[in-house]
Amino acid sequence: MWTCIGLLVLALANFSAWAAEAFERVVIADPFLELHTGPGRGYPVTYIAERGESVEILKRHTDWFKLRTARGKEGWAAREQMERTLTAAGVQTTFRDVLIEDYLRRRLEFGFSVGRFESDPILTAHVGYRLQEHFLVELNVSQVPGQFSSTSLIYGSLVSQMYPDQTWSPYLALGVGHFNNKPKATLVSAIETDADLANAGVGVRYYLTRQFVLRVEWKQHVALIDHNRNETFREWSLGIFSFF
Amino acid sequence: MTPTRMLFGILLAAQLAGVGTAFGESNEPVIEPQVDRRQIRIPKINVDDVEIGVYGGILSVQDFGARPASGVRIAYHLTEDFFIEGNYGRSTVSDESFRRPGFAIPLFTQPVVDLTYYFLSAGYNLFPGEVFFGKNWAMTSAVYLVAGVGNVSFNKEDNTAFNFGIGIRVLPWDWLAVRGEMRDLLFQSDVLGKNELKHNFELTLGLSIYF
Repeated sequence: MWTCIGLLVLALANFSAWAAEAFERVVIADPFLELHTGPGRGYPVTYIAERGESVEILKRHTDWFKLRTARGKEGWAAREQMERTLTAAGVQTTFRDVLIEDYLRRRLEFGFSVGRFESDPILTAHVGYRLQEHFLVELNVSQVPGQFSSTSLIYGSLVSQMYPDQTWSPYLALGVGHFNNKPKATLVSAIETDADLANAGVGVRYYLTRQFVLRVEWKQHVALIDHNRNETFREWSLGIFSFF
Repeated sequence: MTPTRMLFGILLAAQLAGVGTAFGESNEPVIEPQVDRRQIRIPKINVDDVEIGVYGGILSVQDFGARPASGVRIAYHLTEDFFIEGNYGRSTVSDESFRRPGFAIPLFTQPVVDLTYYFLSAGYNLFPGEVFFGKNWAMTSAVYLVAGVGNVSFNKEDNTAFNFGIGIRVLPWDWLAVRGEMRDLLFQSDVLGKNELKHNFELTLGLSIYF
């Protein structure tokens, strides 16, 4: 809890550092630009900036920009209107959406998925790092809260994408990690199991919109419990992730 | 050869073919371009779509009574209407009422055990609006709905859980949000001998910062 409060204090310090920075300036090219009281279409328009006026961009929240006019009026403008503003040098600005090109250029990704692990539900969180156009490494942490026991998996995988530039992109994944199974406390003579884990999977990524990608995956996990016993588990999952 | 192995084989072959062409191409340009590179300056705008915060309140666990709860949350605002959020919280559960004379069947190994939960939820800003404080201060606000999946764990048991709730968020400044929220955390549990759906209400007050 205290670490969280510490983080918040740090964030505040960061915020005041931003406040000291100079802001971007743009010139309005539309006949007028509506300034709303809040970042949303329903908030009332309180000020209208005219063509040729220079405004400062204080910040952006989703598709809304907080602006300050030369007369010191502050308000929020929609991205659609901002797309037609000019930079101080008279060049058209680009406040475009995130596109698929960005998806290929950025390296870090983070997401969640839900699915079935044999007949139990599975929840997974993953962090990925793109090494190269075709390959990325991932760290996956899964939890399977079953009816009689709960299983947790932690594994790293190497993912290879055949056609990374396609909207629908199939991939292969190979992973190794750790398997842990804890039977429920209400069961008699329950033994906790720890084992090495190896898995292989196939899946498809689908570039959804902005910075969001969906993925459907099928995986086969093998837990190497001891010399003469392996357990095999099949997993289906559907996930969403975002890249940064 | 099983169908799965065959599928793996086909995909692996396609993969190798793809990498092969990528490496095989020559990088020598045919014509040397005589154009100067354009200087592109990417505008530096502070985007504050991520929200990080803490909250505290009361969690009432069905059959066990209400106890203090606290947690952390991180949210990402996709559009002015939708957001996704992850939260992690802690509380405690006590089986004290089962240890009273007349019952005398303790359920847990200790009178008070820890409870932790996490959820991934999607949210929708239902009623965006403004809240007025005095004559000169208008704060933007929203009534929002959240619903999601996650896990509730106590007494060495993990339970797949769902949660849904309603909250109000008020922003005294653009970068700070104060929220009051009520959620129902639902999960199946056999802790009292019968597997049944438990409703656990949580009432919290939170503070968060936009980045």
